[in-house]
Amino acid sequence: MDELLHRVRTRLAIRAHRRVRGLLDGEYVSLFHGKSLDFDDLRAYIPGDDVKDIDWKATARVGSPLIKRYIATKKHAVLLVVDTGRDFAALSEGGTPKRDIAILAAGVIGYLAVRHGDHVGLVAGDADGTEYVPLRGTESHLERLLRVIHQRTSMSAGPSRLAAQLDYVRRTFRRRMLLIVVADDGALAGQVEELQLVRRLHAQHEILWITIGDVDPTLGDYADKDMIDVADGRDLPPFFRRDSALRAEFEAAVATRTAASADLLDRIGISSHRMTSEEDVVPGLFRLLEGHNHARR
Amino acid sequence: MELMYWWMPLLWLVVTAGVIVLALWLHARRRARNLADAVPVAHSDRLTELPAYRTALARYRAALFGAVLVVSLVLVAAVLMSSRLVSISTYQPEMRNRDIVLCLDVSGSMVDYDAAIVRTFRDLVDNFDGERIGLVLFNASAVTYFPLTTDYRFVQEQLAYLENDLSSPLSDYEFINGTLLGEGSSLIGDGLGSCVLRFDDVDKERSRSIVLATDNYVAGRPILTLPEAGALATERSVRVYGINPGDVSSKEYIAEFANEMKQVVLATDGGYFALADPSAIPSIVDGIEQQQTTRLTGEPMLVRTDEPSWPFVLSVLGTALIMYFGWRLKR
Repeated sequence: MDELLHRVRTRLAIRAHRRVRGLLDGEYVSLFHGKSLDFDDLRAYIPGDDVKDIDWKATARVGSPLIKRYIATKKHAVLLVVDTGRDFAALSEGGTPKRDIAILAAGVIGYLAVRHGDHVGLVAGDADGTEYVPLRGTESHLERLLRVIHQRTSMSAGPSRLAAQLDYVRRTFRRRMLLIVVADDGALAGQVEELQLVRRLHAQHEILWITIGDVDPTLGDYADKDMIDVADGRDLPPFFRRDSALRAEFEAAVATRTAASADLLDRIGISSHRMTSEEDVVPGLFRLLEGHNHARR
Repeated sequence: MELMYWWMPLLWLVVTAGVIVLALWLHARRRARNLADAVPVAHSDRLTELPAYRTALARYRAALFGAVLVVSLVLVAAVLMSSRLVSISTYQPEMRNRDIVLCLDVSGSMVDYDAAIVRTFRDLVDNFDGERIGLVLFNASAVTYFPLTTDYRFVQEQLAYLENDLSSPLSDYEFINGTLLGEGSSLIGDGLGSCVLRFDDVDKERSRSIVLATDNYVAGRPILTLPEAGALATERSVRVYGINPGDVSSKEYIAEFANEMKQVVLATDGGYFALADPSAIPSIVDGIEQQQTTRLTGEPMLVRTDEPSWPFVLSVLGTALIMYFGWRLKR
């Protein structure tokens, strides 16, 4: 039943990741640190304060009434914003479908959140429509989210348009949340609308940006296979697969483009990380969280 | 230009269409089967907007276009070759079944003319192919110098020898031997009659003609008169072409003979030429030859000649180019 979540747990349980898992927990908690959410303190009594809130011991030590400030352990909201358009049915740079990496990354974050009693929601969709799965804090709910991502992302889905999902988030949510955006290389390339939305959302929410690298069609591994452009379902001609000059130029262009996207997000103040395979997910997320926490402090 | 098997292009059309349909079907089937295994790629514009991709695509398209062009050219060549491209020409076969007997009066006054005739025939023999030629010399009696033959080397030798004999200042007039055995001299009728009898294979359909060079100045009593000999020639459908150096105004005293000869010769459906100068002989003989040729052309025939050369060259070159483009496309 919860096979997708099972894969996430398995991934986290991999021996090499065990240490990271603990660290991930820490990094996750740190995400909300500094917001004084989990922080209780004392302050001087002001008329009108609840008498029950007076810390008598501290008052006795100091000599003037002090109020113990309880911050109710608030449930944080983690919203996964995932592109489930046709583009994500395509292969990633590592050779697995981008969807699988997206599910894994969303699953790991969601799992951490659920374990910390936070609520996880999902905004997924393509150019044809956006689906919202409300915020809940259970593992079965997380499994359901991952299933939605899994089912929506297919070759028959609409074309990807992340702006639609970002706009949905802008219109729908008024509370502050942690947005985990799962996008691909094409999401920010020359998209003015997306950038404006990202800036706008950044003002309201905490944003972590996960980029999933697209496949390199000039790789020799695919030379003997048919290649389909998910945008129009047409075959890509085979001639470029043997052209070494073209391959070099392609690699250079991808590097430039990736750097440009990361740079854009960096300038807005959003931490981002690019993942290319499933092995990349756990260490990649750790790097992302760590980088994010460091940058903020 | 015409196709011998006009239905062949239609067959090709059907077969080519069938092959194309089959190829498309196989391709579609293969693609459907490989679809599950196909590599889905997003954001192909990352690749397709590269200048290197554009140039590669242009090269690929050029190679494809070239391949299609060459394949169609080779196909056209194959269609033309298999439907047998023929050129059609009407051909009038020149019937090389002529027999010519040179019938030369070797009386003293005729020697120069005889030499010119012999010289001209030496040139003509080079072009003979299937014609037979014979030579009869006559004065009082007729001597077969050589019978009708196609052995042109022998004919050349004999003509050369005779020409030398006729024209050389050192000549011993060997050719006269045997020509003076009759009663009198210049027995033209006997000479012509003898010449008519030189034709063999009378049953066979051959063109028979005599080139008779004489001044028709008879001195003596011939067995056959010239008109009688002419009648014999007509009876055996032998044309007589007369060359008469005596039929000129300076020799009016023999005008009667010339007249007789002209009538006899024309009666055989031949030709008559009066002249004073031996140097006119070659053109006359050529004329006779020409006349004979035109008369002897047979029924016009429709000849179809296969013209496979340029489609063949095209297909060979095209096949080489197909290999080249195939290599370019597969590379």
